[in-house]
Amino acid sequence: MAAVQETIDAVAALEKYEHGFTSEIETEYAPRGLNADIIRFISDKKGEPEWMLEWRLAAYERWLAMEEPTWASVKYTPVDYQSLFYYAAPKKKDGPKSLDEVDPELLAIYAKLGIPLGEQAVLAGVEGAPRYAVDAVFDSVSVVTTFKEELAKVGVIFMPISEAIREHPELVRQYLGSVVPVSDNYFAALNSAVFSDGSFVYIPPGVKCPMELSTYFRINASQTGQFERTLIIADKGAYCSYLEGCTAPMRDENQLHAAVVEIVALDDAEVKYSTVQNWYPGDAEGKGGIYNFVTKRADCRGDRSKVSWTQVETGSAVTWKYPSCILKGEESSGEFYSIAITNGHQQADTGTKMIHLGKNSKSRIIAKAVSAGKSDSTYRGLVSVHPKATGVRNFTQCDSLLIGGDCGSHTVPYIEARNGSAQLEHEATTTRLSDDQLFYAQQRGLSQEEAVALLVNGFVRDVMQKLPMEFAVEAQKLVAISLEGSVG
Amino acid sequence: MLKINNLHVSVGEKPILQGLTLDVPAGEVHAIMGPNGAGKSTLGYALSGRPGYEAAEGSVEWAGENLLDLDPAARAAKGVFLSFQYPIEIPGVPALTFVRTALNAQKRARGEDEVSAPVFLKMVKAASSALKMDFDMLKRPLNVGFSGGEKKRMEILQMALLEPSLLILDETDSGLDIDALRIVSEGVNALRSPDRAMLVITHYQRLLDYIKPDKVHVLAAGRIVASGGPELAHQLEAEGYDKYLPVAA
Amino acid sequence: MTARLQSQPRIDLNDASSFPSRRVESWKYSDLRRYLREAPKPSPTAIVGPPGPFYDLGGDAIVFANGRPVGVTDFIASGDQTLRLRFITDAVETGHTASARVVARPGAKLLLLETHEGAGSAYVAHNRLDIDVAAGAEVTRIVLIEEPEDAISITDIDVRVAPGGVYRQTTVTTGARLQRQTTTLSHGGEGADVRIDGLYTLSDARHTDLTSVVDHVGRDGVTSQLTKGVVRDTARGVFQGKIRIQRGADGVDARMGHHALILGERAEVDAKPELEIYADDVQCAHGNTVGNLDESALFYMQQRGIPVDEARALLTQAFLIEVVDRIENEQVREVVRSWLTDRL
Repeated sequence: MAAVQETIDAVAALEKYEHGFTSEIETEYAPRGLNADIIRFISDKKGEPEWMLEWRLAAYERWLAMEEPTWASVKYTPVDYQSLFYYAAPKKKDGPKSLDEVDPELLAIYAKLGIPLGEQAVLAGVEGAPRYAVDAVFDSVSVVTTFKEELAKVGVIFMPISEAIREHPELVRQYLGSVVPVSDNYFAALNSAVFSDGSFVYIPPGVKCPMELSTYFRINASQTGQFERTLIIADKGAYCSYLEGCTAPMRDENQLHAAVVEIVALDDAEVKYSTVQNWYPGDAEGKGGIYNFVTKRADCRGDRSKVSWTQVETGSAVTWKYPSCILKGEESSGEFYSIAITNGHQQADTGTKMIHLGKNSKSRIIAKAVSAGKSDSTYRGLVSVHPKATGVRNFTQCDSLLIGGDCGSHTVPYIEARNGSAQLEHEATTTRLSDDQLFYAQQRGLSQEEAVALLVNGFVRDVMQKLPMEFAVEAQKLVAISLEGSVG
Repeated sequence: MLKINNLHVSVGEKPILQGLTLDVPAGEVHAIMGPNGAGKSTLGYALSGRPGYEAAEGSVEWAGENLLDLDPAARAAKGVFLSFQYPIEIPGVPALTFVRTALNAQKRARGEDEVSAPVFLKMVKAASSALKMDFDMLKRPLNVGFSGGEKKRMEILQMALLEPSLLILDETDSGLDIDALRIVSEGVNALRSPDRAMLVITHYQRLLDYIKPDKVHVLAAGRIVASGGPELAHQLEAEGYDKYLPVAA
Repeated sequence: MTARLQSQPRIDLNDASSFPSRRVESWKYSDLRRYLREAPKPSPTAIVGPPGPFYDLGGDAIVFANGRPVGVTDFIASGDQTLRLRFITDAVETGHTASARVVARPGAKLLLLETHEGAGSAYVAHNRLDIDVAAGAEVTRIVLIEEPEDAISITDIDVRVAPGGVYRQTTVTTGARLQRQTTTLSHGGEGADVRIDGLYTLSDARHTDLTSVVDHVGRDGVTSQLTKGVVRDTARGVFQGKIRIQRGADGVDARMGHHALILGERAEVDAKPELEIYADDVQCAHGNTVGNLDESALFYMQQRGIPVDEARALLTQAFLIEVVDRIENEQVREVVRSWLTDRL
């Protein structure tokens, strides 16, 4: 059982949150607080055209008129929006044309995180060199995007969104905000006003993207809000697999992360979006940690289009995210695979919405939640079938694993069927770690931590298998670290 | 006389029956054999009126009507019975209730008197003991938890009680051991009569040792490509279906 | 972390501001304020007419006519007893509230046969029922609801099951303009056994909302819930089943199933089976399916001569009857079975 051994080895080798180091990088900040001038500052720093600034300002007006939502079952200290910095960037001249031009200190940080930014090894044909394109985002800016030229050869556009706004304005304008409108929710409006950077992906018709694309976010500067914006467009018959990773240093104060991800899939297109979220969860007393409020939505516009969301959530103090699929196209398909691990004092309220509008559309949801410590985890999902959507199929499986008697795990599914030909199936179970299995594993030589990691990995196995290989190993390690100290 | 003329049936986009013509006189047993995918089951579904198996072209004459104009229940009232290859389980509906409801529905459609409960019970007891079926099994929901053999015997029991005149047996032998095969065949043979026409659909010759056909037809690529007496079945057993595939193609 | 005990909004027919709208989470699918904006005029007196569906089962009776009690409103059971509880309405565009209280002492075995019998139109009937099941007591509550298509009928049931008590509830309803039953049950565990079943069959534009909250406060309790429904035409069925297991309530076994058939193109089913778990040594599961009749079973029946409408009716009945079959008392079961088949 190679996967198991890997888990055990990984667990043995790791300490606690190893990405918690802080780095001294010369950083440039916008003035503290949020107002129209700050937005102009951001837009100007990024060299944006007039229409983009207008868009941001309109979003800001919208946000001012909205109220922060309170219905989620998470409790958190309210964010003081005027006390944050909305722009922080490593001091540098213009964007680096190549890796040689990137500040070596930045490169060192990414190396420490284990993010491969080197193109040389791959281009030189070195065996085993990890081959995926990375857009590295440090605080509010994209630091470098690798493999751009090679991707451009097949017509794939992969660049920071700030660059795409300048170089492909027609594409951005056509799709930005078309999946998550500015007024969709409080955090989406805020993001639309102050979004910093993120990735832009366009796959032309019939093209299967030759490598995995990924964006790696690193929050470094303190007291900043992180507002990335990602837009992925898969044209007819296109395919791409996209990975999103993020880390942040340990700090005492809470940091706000309000991101928006929009995906558009046209006829016969397919997008796989994977996230391994490892934000800082807060210390043992529950102080600090990231507030993670994310709006992620896929518009399966085309017939036979398909989007799958795969996520492993292990960090952040408070998580509020519901990657969703609007299944407009006939025979379109949406999938959601999730592992949510909470420990300490974490609170997670996550799930998905599958909105069936197109005939014969289908969706599949598998959500696994593992709760330990004094944490609280809620799956909140919606499967809805529009009256005109005939022939819809859904299968949902939500399983919770509770470790210890101080945590909570909740399932709140909403099932709304308005068409008689729909077939919807939902199952949920709740269990705990089996004492027998734990004892058996320990009797065979595993430490208690190793045994827990083993059993939990077994519990989440079918979701883990959906992750691209590059992420699977990291995800397994994360599972282990996140649950340290959870038993006994 | 069953007269099938130039029957064309597609399943989804795929044409399966492509101009099938066949006559089966009352009183005779005709076997339909053929390679898998040829359309044997499709023929049974098209004759009985299963949704999704409508005829694009052609006609089926039986008892003075074009069957294709009638819905499935109306065809049943005209005496059509399809013995399913995989009989359906119906949770919550006792087998006895099911058959009595079916029988009376048919009688109503034909303008006949319905059968009372005591009379029906007598009929069932007689028929089930002839098929060596445990009467108590019939109080349970139809086919739920029945073995393959029990389900097939249940089909034959229904045949005996509903007294159809056009019997279509779709791979009745599949999943049966020798003993079950014998009992089922005896049940079918007991129903032979000058007023009944039977279509026995099978892939293997073995069943035809027990239910001896008057004629054997080969269905390949959507049409009848060969017809003969019982010896044709033995020939197929020995040679297989290969030589009919290029012909049909 | 303590459990968040959200209590249900308390409706007072005299106070329109207490009427929940769809913005209140637990009334999300039953927007009372949409149909009822002002406090209704009080219903006049009504006469009790013919006997109810459970008449032949005898025992004692508590009867309300347009909210007014005809006799007592409280009942205490100590032995093997039967109580018929009738909420009778004959009203047009008026409203009334009825409250009853039932206590089952240790050792009692009470059969509580409840009916909601409505005539007239566009009335608002609000009923409150308070039930105490002592340790070692057993209460079986069977409810039949039949009210006019344009009536509003709301029932709040508060049940407290002491450790070791047994409570069984089966509700069979045909809906109304807005028909809602909220069962809030406190589960004492320690061998206490609770079953809350429901069955709805809705046509035209009827609506029903079967909402329940089972709160396990004691350890080693058992809960089993099965609700089945059929919606036709433009009807709407709502099921909200919440099971909460408090911290320390280990050893609980709680299962819930809701299965609905949608037989009309414009009919609707909304379901929210919810689990709120704070203890880890528990066995919990819920299942929810929404679908339609099995096509192959339908064809099979038709091929045997059963016309399509009759086949649909047979399959629908077979689907629903599972809930009725769970009623242990044979005589009651038969009354419910024929009541239901007459209305299918």
